[in-house]
Amino acid sequence: MEDRKPLLEVKNLTKVFRRRGEELTAVNHISFQLYPNEILGIVGESGSGKSTAARLAVRLLDGTEGEIFFDGQDITHVKGRELRRIYRRMQMVFQSPATSFDPRRTLGGSIRESLKNAGLPRGERPARVRELLEMCGLPGEYEKRYPHEVSGGQCQRAAIARALAVSPKLLVCDEATSALDVTVQKQVTGLLAELRERYGMSYLFICHDLALVRDFCDRVLVMEKGRIVEEGPAKQVLLSPRHEYTKKLVESIL
Amino acid sequence: MDSGGREVTVRRQKIKKNRVKVRLIIFLILAAALLAAAVWAEALCPYDPYAQDMSAALQPPGPAHLLGTDRYGRDMLSRVLIGARSSIFSALLLAGITGMLGTAAGVACGYFGGAADMVIMRISDICLAFPSLVFAMGIAAVLNGGMKGAVIALAAVGWPKYARLARSQTLTVKNSDYIAAARLSGSSALQIIFLHILPNTGGPILVTAALDIGTMMMELAGLSFLGLGAQPPAAEWGSMMSGGRSMLQTSPWVVLSPGLAIFVSVALFNLLGDAFRDWMDPKGPGGHG
Repeated sequence: MEDRKPLLEVKNLTKVFRRRGEELTAVNHISFQLYPNEILGIVGESGSGKSTAARLAVRLLDGTEGEIFFDGQDITHVKGRELRRIYRRMQMVFQSPATSFDPRRTLGGSIRESLKNAGLPRGERPARVRELLEMCGLPGEYEKRYPHEVSGGQCQRAAIARALAVSPKLLVCDEATSALDVTVQKQVTGLLAELRERYGMSYLFICHDLALVRDFCDRVLVMEKGRIVEEGPAKQVLLSPRHEYTKKLVESIL
Repeated sequence: MDSGGREVTVRRQKIKKNRVKVRLIIFLILAAALLAAAVWAEALCPYDPYAQDMSAALQPPGPAHLLGTDRYGRDMLSRVLIGARSSIFSALLLAGITGMLGTAAGVACGYFGGAADMVIMRISDICLAFPSLVFAMGIAAVLNGGMKGAVIALAAVGWPKYARLARSQTLTVKNSDYIAAARLSGSSALQIIFLHILPNTGGPILVTAALDIGTMMMELAGLSFLGLGAQPPAAEWGSMMSGGRSMLQTSPWVVLSPGLAIFVSVALFNLLGDAFRDWMDPKGPGGHG
């Protein structure tokens, strides 16, 4: 796996938030690679910078320092149209499914927005929306529902359907399963695993559930206070941790 | 037991919701009637509102002239009806212009931030620091009177209120996940503003505008009363009142009929705005998000 070119490569990425003169380094010089068809997990306690790292990687936030390469292209400073083109290959699923959909639009409407921007002709959009929802295990009629009319798990499936609308190579899941109960969580990770098999997708999987990361991810990064403290195959890192922080994390949860 | 209690509450909420809806519909019908009267004023006028008839000057209300005549013998009812057109439509136009300008500025400031945000919000602070009607009088005087000048003057002092509201609404919505999701969906800033931000922030802005129509009507009439709005012989409620004020003691109907017209329509638009707010309020009995 290591001899292939990475899909996503982050070098020395740093994010400093400045508020009222105070500086907070949320992400401190992190570097990692994500290879095609790989699931890379990021674990760490809340406030360790996992989510900020995810948002930096998809350019929802601008980094203070460092570089991001996606598919061989430097995307550290891309903007506007160019960035929108990148978003056809890179998508994200958010933690809270209910707030990741516009409350005033139907699920189908939000998915259609993505299809429209990707240039799919108007006539083909309804069929594609239903196809995407069904692929994620939702009945096609759900396109007419509003976010508050479906359960959290169903909404997260719709969010995945929206992310898949452009057939991305990379899907960033920011605590995508954390707001769901255990059985629904299983279904969603099952769906993600199946989609990886079928489309050869890669995931950056941010999660604080170590058991889930151990079972689901290939490799894992452990973050503490904005730094990566340990990195390696998921089972190895989480079953026999070497760094003090990882040991503490594993002990406190497993 | 518990579910029974809940059912009662739900039914009570439903009744309340219906009441709000009925109130809104009643005021909408009344406002529509007022607008219709303004649109078809010419057909409703019993006399030519500009035709002078010195032999019938200053007649009290009676069967021939329901609201009496002014000092040139013009029929007051006809003049009030024709005056409705300029008074009401100017107020609606003013509310529309002010609301749109303010919202555009506020949403742009809130969404893009940066230096433009600073500059525009400081300008709005300056505008808010002046007593608005005095400021409007100054602008209207510079613009040399006329209804157009009055509308521009009031829009110039009215927009900061909408800009602040729209800006704060935009700031709360801007950082939500669905805006981030829309960016990831490949939507441009303009698309995001029109598809997501405006629909999710428009409610309170529309309510403010609806509540403002009455006030704006009054401010327009006030400017006209001071001679800074509609000019004689144009029939406009404020200038009609101003023209008749010397006769308040001898022929009060000349002042009272346009005054009553202002009172009724301002009250109606305020009540309509109130009903609209209750209906839009997601936490209130209307329950409409």
